[in-house]
Amino acid sequence: MKKIYSIGLLALMFASCKPNLSTTAPGKGTADFSVYVAVGNSLTAGYADNSLYRAGQQNSYPLRLSEQFRLVGGGNFVQPLLPSTAGFPYPRLVLGLSTSCNGSVSLGPVFSFDSSSVGNGANISSQGPFNNVGVPGIRCVDYLQQGYGYVNPYASRFYSNPIGETPLDEALKLPATFYTVWLGANDVLGYATGGGVGNPTPFVPRPEDITPTGLFQTIYDSVINALFAHGAKGVVVNIPDVTAIPFFTTVPHNALVLRQGQADSLNAGYAHAGIFFLNFTKGPNNFVIADPTATYGFRQMYDDELVLLTIPQDSIICYGWGSQVPIPSKYILTRTEIANVRSATSAYNNIIQDAASKHNLGYVDINNYLRTISTGIQYNGVKYNAQFVTGGAFSLDGVHLTPRGYALVANYIISVINGKYGSTVPSVDVNKYQGVQFP
Amino acid sequence: MRKLTLLTASALLATSLSYGAAYQLNLQGLRQLAMGGTGTATPWDVSTLFYNPAGLSLINGIQAYGSAQFIMPSTGYAQSTYTTNTQSQTFTSFNVYLGGPLQKDSKVGLGIGVYTPFGDGLTWDNNWLGRYVIQKIYLQTIFIQPTVSYKLNDYISAGIGFIYATGNVVLKQALPVQMADGTDAHGELKGGGNGTGFNAGIHVRASDQWQFGVTYRSRVNLKLNGGNATFTVPQSLTTQFPNTTFNSRLPLPAVFSVGIGYKPSAKWSFQADVNFTQWSAFDSLNFDYAQTTSALSNTHLPFKYKNTVTYRLGASYQVNSKIGLMAGGAWDPTPVTDGFVSPVLPDADRIVLTGGVTYMPCNRVTILAAVEYVTTKKMDNRSYDYANFSGTYQTKAITPAIGICYHF
Repeated sequence: MKKIYSIGLLALMFASCKPNLSTTAPGKGTADFSVYVAVGNSLTAGYADNSLYRAGQQNSYPLRLSEQFRLVGGGNFVQPLLPSTAGFPYPRLVLGLSTSCNGSVSLGPVFSFDSSSVGNGANISSQGPFNNVGVPGIRCVDYLQQGYGYVNPYASRFYSNPIGETPLDEALKLPATFYTVWLGANDVLGYATGGGVGNPTPFVPRPEDITPTGLFQTIYDSVINALFAHGAKGVVVNIPDVTAIPFFTTVPHNALVLRQGQADSLNAGYAHAGIFFLNFTKGPNNFVIADPTATYGFRQMYDDELVLLTIPQDSIICYGWGSQVPIPSKYILTRTEIANVRSATSAYNNIIQDAASKHNLGYVDINNYLRTISTGIQYNGVKYNAQFVTGGAFSLDGVHLTPRGYALVANYIISVINGKYGSTVPSVDVNKYQGVQFP
Repeated sequence: MRKLTLLTASALLATSLSYGAAYQLNLQGLRQLAMGGTGTATPWDVSTLFYNPAGLSLINGIQAYGSAQFIMPSTGYAQSTYTTNTQSQTFTSFNVYLGGPLQKDSKVGLGIGVYTPFGDGLTWDNNWLGRYVIQKIYLQTIFIQPTVSYKLNDYISAGIGFIYATGNVVLKQALPVQMADGTDAHGELKGGGNGTGFNAGIHVRASDQWQFGVTYRSRVNLKLNGGNATFTVPQSLTTQFPNTTFNSRLPLPAVFSVGIGYKPSAKWSFQADVNFTQWSAFDSLNFDYAQTTSALSNTHLPFKYKNTVTYRLGASYQVNSKIGLMAGGAWDPTPVTDGFVSPVLPDADRIVLTGGVTYMPCNRVTILAAVEYVTTKKMDNRSYDYANFSGTYQTKAITPAIGICYHF
């Protein structure tokens, strides 16, 4: 008996040698997270690697938020998950080796071979209503459009009445107590990723145009009015400066690197054709691009212009694009086009900020946050920046985020929520999720 | 024309392979351990070879001494709603001493000691929150110290020992690159090396009641040459992270100690020590890789340790001719400065409580047992700015120890 007692005492002694750190219980402040609905576009849907796929959806920032909200009274969070693993409607990108036209092998984005797509196109609205109503491709200007669900395949797969209702109707299906609204990026992104070939001042904006500011304001305000008409709380997220993302910053404007002989023959060739405004030198040269506003319809790039990630690299490497053949303007954002993008972005952001203050909502300046990621941040020992592939935050399409990137966004939104509503929602463990996976 | 490889992978990662700070162990003699780590002023037995080499000529004949200490540390960590503890591990340190006055009434004492003054070991869970900072660290040092002591007169003795130090380190961390299956890449550094130094002391027996001691143990630079750096990375990145070798240097700091001993009666002894540890030697650690790439550059880690002053107190009570009891404590402030609190060595100001017992079953043999309990204050939201990693830490350790001393 005594022996047992002394063993027990010994065990007690050793147990006391293990620190037991307790954490403070999180609180919801003045917010009510019981029914959370996320309104937005591809970024909200969890789109990544140039596709919507199930694993991407399971790493969406709204899902990350809902998991944290659950610690402070948040409820179930239903997403319109794709039943199969392959990307919808097209395969996603993964890192892999590819051989270019000159035989060199390099590591870069290639299409995934995953073809498991059974049921991905089927309408799953019976599983709803959904807490995440993010629809890839959707613009603010589409939000009051009846029948939009019919034209957008991502919407038609989960809207309960694609033809008869508007996206706003779908967003109002649940009696939400808390919204995040990240809407409006596609009103300018389509123009930017289209290389600015769309109309910057259309009367009726197509996806490749820029939505006029007045129209944007009318619809944005209506959407916010409707969502928050019944006392729900929430945050609105502004629009990132799309020209700061890897889609536009990865391929340098002067990636035309020439030897002296190559420069000489290019100069001679153009001189022979009577063209003297191009000048090539040994080393890096600015690409030759098509520009309908230039005198001859082409010119060399300016230093502050951007090449799109989607440019076919084989055309540059083997077929003289950017040197003998002007790069088509749909792969380039010129100075004028960049200015159009920037001015629309800042006009939209003013509208979003005004809406936030008018409805007393949290305002998430994601534009500013993504700028800090561009310059580089560090989180629990891991460095993140906006470098393509290696930066860790952006997925292989250069526009959307990695699971870790989305988790970083969730944390930034949480910080705004906590500031606005006096809550202490804990942040997400970003590094628990995936970055870019290497073969 | 330039090839547009999308993945130039330049500056893929600024690898932050970090290295643990030297972790001083004050476990070189069991009586001293049991008395709060004091012993500069009192040559109890041949283990004075470490605590004050001058005492070697004062002990009662040649002695052989051996002890083993079983260190069981645990560090708790919390960030937001996340908490974890380091894995339970037991690290064994040992001491072996042999020596004493050459013969009865000889003025000269000779001896040799083998002991482990610095060591550290922490194993975090492989998938823990700070895995990109550290997953595992292990440091072991062994000092070999041949020593000579000379009794100048009835009051003053001096002693000095030459130190040959060997040590080895292991550290492992996850690298922020994911394999195709989603697991982390990781890197491991493993190396051994050696260095030299000395340990010198003066002992003053002012009266039968009062004794004083002063010692200086020099800094030892452990040169780690040709250690192995091993990287487990995705196939496509093996050229960026070549398995290579590294050179580094680990400074083990100098310690200056003063001690005082008071023996008011035959049964009672009290002693107090103050240690000045020159931790500022540990300003940074550098790992120079034999082969560097755009993704793997030499590592420079700032530590910015500050010097510390440790206070120690101990008491001993001789119950009878066979049994002695000891107790003590220490206040051991941390050398870690603000902004450098890392999970590599989550050190903090320590409170040390100790106790022990000696038993002489026969004239020639003393059996010693001691236990040390160390706890740090809870450190709320401390940061390691280098990795932007912060959290709340607390460390506790219990160290039972047992030893034997044979009197020739």
